[in-house]
Amino acid sequence: MRQIPIDFGFREEHDLLRKEARRFLGERCPMSEVRRLADDPLGHDPTLWKEIGGLGWLGVALPEAYGGAGLGSVALCLLLDEMGRRLVPSPFLASLLASFAIDAGGSESQKALWLPEIASGTRIATLALTEPSGGFEPDSVRATASPCEGGFVLRGQKTHVQDARNAGLVVAPFREPSGQVSIFAIELPSPGVVIEAEVGVDPTRRSARVAFEGTRVGASARLEAPGAAALEHAHVRGFAALAAEMVGAADATLELTRQYAIDRKQFGHPIGFFQAVKHPIVDVMVGVELARNHALGAAAAIDHADPCKAESASRMAKAMASDVFSLAVRKGVQLHGGYGFTIDCDVHHYFKRALWSRATLGDAPHHRHRLAAMLVDRDVLASGAP
Amino acid sequence: MTPPKEDVEPREIAEFRREVRAWMEAHKPPDPGFKLPQSFLEVESERQFDFLRNWQRKVYEAGYLGLDWPAEYGGRGDALKRQRVVSQELTRAGAPFLVNVIGLQWAGPTILVYGTDAQKKRMLQPILSAEEIWCQGFSEPGSGSDLASAQARAEKQPDGSYRVTGHKVWTTLAHHAKWMILLARTDPNAGKYEGLSFFLFPMDVPGVTVQPLIKMTGEGGFNQVIFDSAPMPADALLGKEGQGWQVALTTLLYERGAAEGSGGGQASASGEGIRRVVSVARRAARENGSAAADPVFRDRMAQLWIEEEALRLSAMRMRIPALTADRPHALQLMNKLVFSEYYQRLTDLACEMLGPDGALWLGEPSAPDRAEWPRAYMNSFGMTIGGGTSEILRNILGERVLGLPKTR
Repeated sequence: MRQIPIDFGFREEHDLLRKEARRFLGERCPMSEVRRLADDPLGHDPTLWKEIGGLGWLGVALPEAYGGAGLGSVALCLLLDEMGRRLVPSPFLASLLASFAIDAGGSESQKALWLPEIASGTRIATLALTEPSGGFEPDSVRATASPCEGGFVLRGQKTHVQDARNAGLVVAPFREPSGQVSIFAIELPSPGVVIEAEVGVDPTRRSARVAFEGTRVGASARLEAPGAAALEHAHVRGFAALAAEMVGAADATLELTRQYAIDRKQFGHPIGFFQAVKHPIVDVMVGVELARNHALGAAAAIDHADPCKAESASRMAKAMASDVFSLAVRKGVQLHGGYGFTIDCDVHHYFKRALWSRATLGDAPHHRHRLAAMLVDRDVLASGAP
Repeated sequence: MTPPKEDVEPREIAEFRREVRAWMEAHKPPDPGFKLPQSFLEVESERQFDFLRNWQRKVYEAGYLGLDWPAEYGGRGDALKRQRVVSQELTRAGAPFLVNVIGLQWAGPTILVYGTDAQKKRMLQPILSAEEIWCQGFSEPGSGSDLASAQARAEKQPDGSYRVTGHKVWTTLAHHAKWMILLARTDPNAGKYEGLSFFLFPMDVPGVTVQPLIKMTGEGGFNQVIFDSAPMPADALLGKEGQGWQVALTTLLYERGAAEGSGGGQASASGEGIRRVVSVARRAARENGSAAADPVFRDRMAQLWIEEEALRLSAMRMRIPALTADRPHALQLMNKLVFSEYYQRLTDLACEMLGPDGALWLGEPSAPDRAEWPRAYMNSFGMTIGGGTSEILRNILGERVLGLPKTR
């Protein structure tokens, strides 16, 4: 079993990207901007989107041949950590997930067609995974693709599709009559694709129900590689990416709470003096750092280890990030006291993002369920840890 | 994606790991047929002690201890700092622990930082060979978490030597020890911190009484030491007079695994813990099959696997400054807290999965794994309490890493 390299495959240029992202987002996406965009009908700032596209962030982990920077998943992990801190409202994650699916399943020409546009931000894309059953892993795909003259007819419902109303491309798995799952890339708008906005808990993350009501697509819309395997690979990269973003957001929540515990005085002391306040903040910090270990570990595993290790590492990352981000916002609101309970306190933005993030791409119990199957039934540790 | 690397480790590390792994397989001692202690906290009988001391000597003679220590003091001056590889392989092989833990991991590294050349020459090599065992005299009946309030007195004599009077507790291995790292008050009129000094105290002088303390498992190996005007030479002082608190903090960093420099020992997180718990789950009969089929236990095992892997990743990440730049020492300082609490949950889970059999105790022939799990669960509190309780460590993390106001 190929393991994670002891240096995570980390390189100096990854750190330059992180520093650049921290500086740029500090200027371009302060909390005032997040608050403004939370009330904006579009939900993101097209000027900021263009700038992010110009910086090449969408292509950080995509191959250079398709407009990417080829820096790998560790660089992306560091970047998403920074984006999570700032709660950047943008279709970044949606486009990223779609690019993972195309990268994993597309033919040369399909990749050449879509990836450069996604990488530059000129085409917003999204990956539609969840179905009304609540399932999102390859085995729960119920939407169908039936062959027809010159292509396929797509039918079925996808829910919780991020940024579907802003997207020019939706990537989604469908089941063919043979039972095999295939991934399709469908340009939007498209006749027979009905998009209906959902009202979500987190106004910095927009989603929609997408109905395929006999949508006709050409044969070239079907990604070439077998869909289930490609989807699994996209999933693994998606778990790791979302986990990295969550770690950054949890850390920012921690920082708000830490500062409040220093500034706020009661009984003649900053409240952080009291262990009933101090210790939960420490528990959040410990959790954030361990979750960051996993986010980095998952990124390194995706780039360097074998698929089994990459799967366990990315599920661990998403499980731990889900629990830790939840803890961070729970303690964040509680320790801010009455102020934390109001809309004026920034913590609620993180609280809502935490609810959205843990519910997306599998919560901690979901991933622990899958991990237990690897650990107990498949006995993956038997092949030898380092 | 960047192309996969050929290997996860540099070649010279991987080769050394293979060599050590093969040596462990060939030389790991067989089960002696009597109860072995689970850790250095419960070395009771002479035969247990002899068995463990012989094992450490064997590892030392093979050249696998003191790798990172300078050659002039009995170490091997290894430029590649490969001691941690040995530690990982000792754990992986399920080998007995190295009995001179306090010497190897706490006293030795502290002497390397503060010792005179003469002290280093005299003390370090016999630590590695287990010829001279070390114990620690820090805690007192009235000074536990508030360690700096220690009252044991080291009174300077006209000839420059000292006499020690006082009472130290939780002195693991004191009954086998030749030396003690001792925190004692040299100036009762100075401040709480400034009045302390740090000594390398010879245990074989008159006026020293070692009395066993029995742990909740019923095992000994744990002691209290009473000093009644016990003499110690001038050169027992480590560092300067009044510098004791600073030296003790260095020792505590090593004790908590927060600093590298150990002469040898076992790695904490290795993937072994969860593997063993899965094995317990498979054997543990429950109402509807084994614990391995129970969704609640499966969830808890997966959680422990996540925690164990997080610790393993910590050990990797803490070596990369750019990946820890925002909180430079957090991973090191939280290591003992995270490991001890994880390990406590792990042993507790194993006991619970075993159901009624988890309530069987040492001496009961039908007890699974010779009652190792309830024993390990009880012993795990040695780790969450010793070397700074989890509560004290949370204070330290809150204050030093997060800059929260000091509780004291």
